[in-house]
Amino acid sequence: MAIQQKRPRILQKTLSYFVLTLFSGIALFPIWQVVNISLRPGDKLLPTELELIPTNASLNNFIRLFTQTDFLTWIGNSLLVSLTVTITGVVLASTAGYGFSRFQFPGKRIGLLSLLTTQMFPATMLLLPMYIMLIKLGLINTYLGAIIVYSATALPFCIWTMKGFYDTIPPSLEEAARIDGCSHFAAFYRIILPLAAPALVITALFSFMTAWSEYIVAVQILQDSELWTLPLGLKSFEASMSTEWGLYGAASIIVMIPVVILFLALSRWLVSGLTLGSVKG
Amino acid sequence: MRPDEGQILQRQVKRYTDQNPGREVVVIYKETEVLRSAFVNAAITRRGPDLVHGPSDAVGIYVATKAVQPLETIFPAEYLAQFDSSGILWYRGHIYQIADKIGNHLALVYNKKYVQRAPQNDEELIETSKRIQRQYGYKSGRPNVYGLTWNYTEPFFFIPFFTGFGGWVFGDDGVTPSLQSDAMVQALKYTRSLRDEHKIVPNEADYEIADALFKDGKAAMIINGDWSWAGYAQLGIDIGVAPIPKIVKTGLWPAPMTSPKGFSLNSNVSPEKLPKVLDLLRFLLSEECELETTKALNTAPTLKSLYNNPLLVKNDILQNSLAQIRLGRSMPVVPEMRAVWDAMRPGYQAVMGGASTPEAAAKSMQQLALRRIREMNE
Amino acid sequence: MASRKSFIAFLVAPAFLILFAVVFYPFIYNIVLSFSNMNLYRIYDWSIIGIKQYTRIFTEPSQPSFYLIFWKTFVWTFVNVFFHVVIGVALALILNQNLKGRSVFRTLLILPWAIPQFIVALTWRGMFNYEYGAINLMITKYFNLPAIEWLKDPVNAFVACIITNVWLGFPFMMVIALGALQSIPHELYEAAEIDGARWHHKLRAITLPLIRPVMIPAITLGMIWTFNNLNIVWLVSNAGEPSDLTHILVSYVYKSAFNYYSFSYAAALSMIIFAILLTMSLTFMKSSRATEAAY
Repeated sequence: MAIQQKRPRILQKTLSYFVLTLFSGIALFPIWQVVNISLRPGDKLLPTELELIPTNASLNNFIRLFTQTDFLTWIGNSLLVSLTVTITGVVLASTAGYGFSRFQFPGKRIGLLSLLTTQMFPATMLLLPMYIMLIKLGLINTYLGAIIVYSATALPFCIWTMKGFYDTIPPSLEEAARIDGCSHFAAFYRIILPLAAPALVITALFSFMTAWSEYIVAVQILQDSELWTLPLGLKSFEASMSTEWGLYGAASIIVMIPVVILFLALSRWLVSGLTLGSVKG
Repeated sequence: MRPDEGQILQRQVKRYTDQNPGREVVVIYKETEVLRSAFVNAAITRRGPDLVHGPSDAVGIYVATKAVQPLETIFPAEYLAQFDSSGILWYRGHIYQIADKIGNHLALVYNKKYVQRAPQNDEELIETSKRIQRQYGYKSGRPNVYGLTWNYTEPFFFIPFFTGFGGWVFGDDGVTPSLQSDAMVQALKYTRSLRDEHKIVPNEADYEIADALFKDGKAAMIINGDWSWAGYAQLGIDIGVAPIPKIVKTGLWPAPMTSPKGFSLNSNVSPEKLPKVLDLLRFLLSEECELETTKALNTAPTLKSLYNNPLLVKNDILQNSLAQIRLGRSMPVVPEMRAVWDAMRPGYQAVMGGASTPEAAAKSMQQLALRRIREMNE
Repeated sequence: MASRKSFIAFLVAPAFLILFAVVFYPFIYNIVLSFSNMNLYRIYDWSIIGIKQYTRIFTEPSQPSFYLIFWKTFVWTFVNVFFHVVIGVALALILNQNLKGRSVFRTLLILPWAIPQFIVALTWRGMFNYEYGAINLMITKYFNLPAIEWLKDPVNAFVACIITNVWLGFPFMMVIALGALQSIPHELYEAAEIDGARWHHKLRAITLPLIRPVMIPAITLGMIWTFNNLNIVWLVSNAGEPSDLTHILVSYVYKSAFNYYSFSYAAALSMIIFAILLTMSLTFMKSSRATEAAY
């Protein structure tokens, strides 16, 4: 009996490691190509051979990136905008999602659906009117303008996700807390929110990524090169037929690092295991 | 604007502000396609930068959207006479751009390691390519060094061959496309034969592949534009530049498109600000700045006074570049040109991909161009 | 009771304020434009001309045809989302086990989401090159199969775009699924195991239904975003090559608006896209009862 139970575990484990390694390799390969671009001298986008490290590899592009371009400025701007959007996103989505999950009110269904509809327009079509409107409000060329637009872009998904997650938490938990004398808000803040940690992580990551890697809106709003976020900065290495691939590749690799750091920091709560089983009475 | 052009402009602007304390100049960089839309957007809202620098083909769009104003009333005739006529852009009866460089043209670039003397005609080009390929051998059916490589997916790179067989994009009125011609059919057959019959170009070559092959020394010659030559030289490749060789069959020299790149003036500049803007413009168009740009980028200048400058006369690459420019033909600035490019692309790619015959493609190109132009004007 | 109402308002209002401000005006503007004749020559003095743009879209024999692009956009959307979800959920399930080194794998698997799309899309394009691309080099070397002409053939080019987009998109679904899996109480699995359930029973009876509330919004929005994602198609196929045959609806809109300056035509096309997406989403959500709670 005991032996029969063990074998499936080993098979399952081996299979799991195999799949994970395979997909990690697939995930890593193109990224490694980009690393190669950054190490190659001469702005060559494409390799003409399959090689692990390019010939004449050098860190020159990375050095040039930090010393000869405004890369540090762009990082600073992107961090400012993205972290603000993350915080607003988490705060607004966690509360709005809760409202949609727990309460019935007139206009609830329409509200939820209208959130979705905001995503259905091709962004390119909204550009010109948005530009005109932001000029009239004096928000062109400001961080605030970008932050507002990004928050609006990221919120629908975040609200829906938070709502979906709250839906899996039984209302009996809040009822128990209310009977004990808690206010609505305390029940929400102290009991439900911690349980929704994984969804908060998703919201945070998504909001961050929306602002961090977005280009189309940024290029309209942030005109002065001192305000440029990373996507705008990277674009300046581009020209339709003479892109500085070396710098672009180096920048792309560095750009990934804050995202990975954020993910590592937050993934503790993503797989928290802080499930209901431990809390239910 | 390319990154290296941008750096030089930045230097020049800094010199200007150093010389003129109290004046602040802000330079905004945008990639060519983005620049055009951004400038039009800005003009619609009656704002935007005072000066815009870019290729001439954007001017047609700017004029149609009333984003730029005429310059012949602002600058006296003696000032304008300093420039070569190709540097002054007339359109619909007005001057809308003064160029500080001419170029953007394709030429034959060869790696002196493989080719010591530029081929004088296309038969020599094919012969040289085959010789090099034989000399350096093959691996799994593919030559280790291709004779020639070029971006044969883009119609812009097809123009030299089209003109080499006597064709041109527009008829005499300058706005009606003339793509369904015998010249088109011949040129399409010719470009295809370079790959399929003579086998001197790679199987699939877009811009980046062609560029990478030449940089890696896996192609002896490349047809590429003046923006790319400095990059090759920087990598240490000993390059030579020459006009694209004459087509023996027709006796014609291929004529790539050339365009000036220069400054236009926003229609919305206020009268109080105008003198200062013009002051900056004169500075950027001065001999000092043009010489600086020419030396750094090997672009062709527009000031007549520079043509006999000893530094430029001794520059081999620049002289060959000028020779190619003289054989070239100006890119039309009319908005209809966009429609023509987009009409040429599908048919051209279909022929190269083997999905269509040259005759059918020529016909479909012409029809598509006419339709797009009609749609644009509706 | 008043405190309850104000609590609701407190929760929901701020988000909506921002949304309506940023999206409402452009939306109306676009509707108006779609009934007008704004183009390059009539940027300042355009006028309303009725439904002419719409009839143009449906009746003109365009090159390529509207219906072909329409059909392809659907294929694009469904194939992509299918693989995103299947791969994402599968990887999440595997990562949810107590395996050593799983945080390393987690981090590697998220990289496609983290890297700037522009350069990696072009890198993929390079990998599909017939002679020099990594894909063909590996196929011929390690699998002894003939090289495929990826980018010259319309169908292959389309597949190449899909492969690239699947690679880019699965990490996102994986992260969502990982989060969703956390909401499932352990006791449910334990109880099922005592009852003798095998892994696929557990999967179908417990896991999949309970991750639904969180997955459904992700899938719906995933469909909408994929439908509208012009970046990848644009970059991998170099704006529709070969011969403008690799377009999906949105890339076609983009070309109309920004290359030809047919603003009103592009506006009308956008409204049609909007209508399609609205129908698609409503149908999907109705069949999965997404606006209700799971309890």
